[in-house]
Amino acid sequence: MSHLPTAIVLLPLLGFLVNGLAGNRLGPRFVSVVGCGLPIAAFALAVMGLLDLRGAAWTPRIDEVYSWLVIGDNRFDVAFYLDRLSVVMALIVTGVGSLIHVYSTGYMKDDKSYARYFAYLNLFLFFMLLLVLGRSMLVLFVGWEGVGLASYLLIGFWFEDPDKARAGKKAFITNRIGDAGFLLGMFVLYEAFGTLDMDRINVAFLAGTPGVSATLVGILLFIGASGKSAQIPLHVWLPDAMAGPTPVSALIHAATMVTAGVYLVARMSGIYVNAPEASAVIAAIGAATAFFAATIAVVQTDIKKVLAYSTISQLGFMFVAAGVGAYGVSVFHLYTHAFFKACLFLGAGSVIHAMSGEQDIRKMGGLARKIPVTFATFVLATAAIAGIPPLAGFFSKDEILWFAFGSSRGGSGLLYATMATTALLTSFYMFRLVWLTFFGRSRVAPGAEHHIHESPLSMTSVLVVLAILSAIGGFLSIPHFLEPQLPLPGIVPALEHYETPLLVVSILLALAGLAGAAYVYGGDASRANRLAARFKTLHRVLSGKYYVDEAYEALIGRPLLWISDRVFLRIGDRALFDGTLHGFAALGRSAAAGFARVQSGNLHLYALLVLIGIVASIALGWRHV
Amino acid sequence: MIDTLLLWLFAGTALVAAAMMLVLRHPMRVALALAATMLSLAGVYALLGVHAIAIFQVLIYVGAVMVFMVYAIMLLDVRDRSFTGRFSWLLVPGVVAAVAFLAVLAHGVWRGLPEPVASAAGAHSAVSSFGIQRFSLEFLNEYWLHFELVSVLLVAAVVAALAVLEVGRRNRG
Amino acid sequence: MLISLSAVLFALGLLGVIVRRNVLVMLMCMELMLNAVNLSLVTFAQQTATAAGAVLVLLVFVVATAEIAIAIPIVLLLVKRKDVLDLGLYNDLKG
Repeated sequence: MSHLPTAIVLLPLLGFLVNGLAGNRLGPRFVSVVGCGLPIAAFALAVMGLLDLRGAAWTPRIDEVYSWLVIGDNRFDVAFYLDRLSVVMALIVTGVGSLIHVYSTGYMKDDKSYARYFAYLNLFLFFMLLLVLGRSMLVLFVGWEGVGLASYLLIGFWFEDPDKARAGKKAFITNRIGDAGFLLGMFVLYEAFGTLDMDRINVAFLAGTPGVSATLVGILLFIGASGKSAQIPLHVWLPDAMAGPTPVSALIHAATMVTAGVYLVARMSGIYVNAPEASAVIAAIGAATAFFAATIAVVQTDIKKVLAYSTISQLGFMFVAAGVGAYGVSVFHLYTHAFFKACLFLGAGSVIHAMSGEQDIRKMGGLARKIPVTFATFVLATAAIAGIPPLAGFFSKDEILWFAFGSSRGGSGLLYATMATTALLTSFYMFRLVWLTFFGRSRVAPGAEHHIHESPLSMTSVLVVLAILSAIGGFLSIPHFLEPQLPLPGIVPALEHYETPLLVVSILLALAGLAGAAYVYGGDASRANRLAARFKTLHRVLSGKYYVDEAYEALIGRPLLWISDRVFLRIGDRALFDGTLHGFAALGRSAAAGFARVQSGNLHLYALLVLIGIVASIALGWRHV
Repeated sequence: MIDTLLLWLFAGTALVAAAMMLVLRHPMRVALALAATMLSLAGVYALLGVHAIAIFQVLIYVGAVMVFMVYAIMLLDVRDRSFTGRFSWLLVPGVVAAVAFLAVLAHGVWRGLPEPVASAAGAHSAVSSFGIQRFSLEFLNEYWLHFELVSVLLVAAVVAALAVLEVGRRNRG
Repeated sequence: MLISLSAVLFALGLLGVIVRRNVLVMLMCMELMLNAVNLSLVTFAQQTATAAGAVLVLLVFVVATAEIAIAIPIVLLLVKRKDVLDLGLYNDLKG
């Protein structure tokens, strides 16, 4: 029992090795059984871990595996840590992960790299579990990098297409930029405490003055978190990551990997509790990201891109919650978001599957009757994300809005207003997506129209399960469950009585979004076109995603390329290094040529040289005679 | 007394003939100058009392070596360019180096050795040492190994000469 | 004095090798060098009254003979190739 976390972590690794090495030879059926069975087994073990913790009165379990590095006085161990937070994360990762694995057996059925896909997916699960179960920040970082690697491999899964491969590279590199901050934070922590074990660091911070600036560490770690969780300014990789297979988008870029940043902040709550400035920064960036991403999502025309920007926006919500001290609430939103976003992405995958690969929602419409199960689950999940009670999203989002308004650790009216507007936009663009995809007159290209069919059972069953979870998941109060470990901040006393009115406002926002979307996009969508014509510039800016990518390219990409080419390549490498080497060679050659002139073939010269040599040797030797 | 005079005479002749060697244009004249040098040196040897060597000098050097050289000179073209341009391009550096060489040797000779000028006074005592009979006895008793080795060298020379002859014959067709 | 003469003759011989262009003259200057050495050997033999010097002179005679016996045919063959006696024009071994 004490090695349970190790078992949970190692099962997907086993799946990766088996499928990666032997999958092609053993056939798709074997690959599916191994690839799905092992994550399901891991989920079962995680449930056992939960029960085991409950039996032990929730004292955290530490599973020391082995001593990894011993350098002088410094010791780095590999150990796993099972407490309330990590068991929740492990359940989400293995549970939603297993469901997505099962979905993938249907979605990727005809792909020629079936075994490689499942190998990578299991590899991802292994690293994610390392991340959430690791005790030391070093183990977490190994998992952190590993999920980045798995993300790169899976985004660029169809690597023969250079655009897709480039998207994978972009994701990895943007992650790495954030990791620089993460590493610096780790260095500062290690310098101060001599250990990277997160539980011990938290205790040290909560106990009193730790001798290191909590704000500094907090901001450094948040830089890493924003790289992984796609916050401004490192959000640019997530929309491009939609180039990967849709189940990958669901698992990695909605439910689990992108939430690693939120997990990190929640886990290191001991630091952030003592760093109000850093928390304020987190809240501000989270709010800004949420708002901007929502505005972009309103005009996107690719079904997956809408969901991608929606993910960025929802992650902003989670960070706002963390920024005002309500870590349990951010994890709660993480948990509900995993359900409905995975359901939405998988539903989108189902739509794409039905449309034989079409992803542009302008070419969809009227699909509701043709793919009913997909439609029903998609609408349910949309309602959840919009925050319509009593679905899961309503509970988590309302909690966030409430704490954004009234938390004694950073709540403010402005923050609330921003998040409320974003919630309205969320509801609006999600229902826009529903209307354009499923309702109205069909705008489907004639050739694809008669291919439209419902997805196989492997896919629809998962959609149904996730939709049900999106519906009832909110009743499991995660903040309450995590409270002993992650206490909720107090509410400003003067604002306490606003709780119920704000609750009503949340519901109204969700319904307003629904109504707005129905009005603008219902019928024949002509009102939408008129609106777009009226606000042409705004529409252009939003469609261009605020031209962030272009700005990066112009401000960073091109100058770097220029420096690399002009300075380092031409001057440094060619002129200096090659020039020096060639110069040495030329020097040797010219010296040799000079020396070779002594051998002129002229006997007179030789004789003279002999004479000179004799004279010299005698002259030099006379003193010894 | 006359021995000293003759010694100086022979030595002077050798020197002058050697100097002429460097200056004369026609190789045949150079050969004759060399022969004169050798004969003068033979005279010096004889005056020093080393008669065996003097005789061998004349027999071998003048009689064989110089004759061979004269023969070779006669075989070669008179109208060669080296007649007009006697000296190579290293004339000045050569003279300078030779003077330096002499200076160094002179410095060494005059510094080190207590030099009794070879006089004919020692000649008579040398006669007893270097008489043919005594010389040859000592030669073959003490230095027979050198003698044998040198004869090997001569055999090698003969073989080489035959080889050269062969090459020459092949070249001629 | 004879030693000095020997040294001067040797220097003259070496100078001749450096200075003169005709290949046969160069050979003869080399003979002059050998003679100078013989002179110094004989002088030493006479001064120390040993036979070693004289024996060495005899050996030098033999060596000189052997040498000239080979050198001249070689020169003849060489000259037959190029038809010039000027050694300054022979630079086939250049480089």
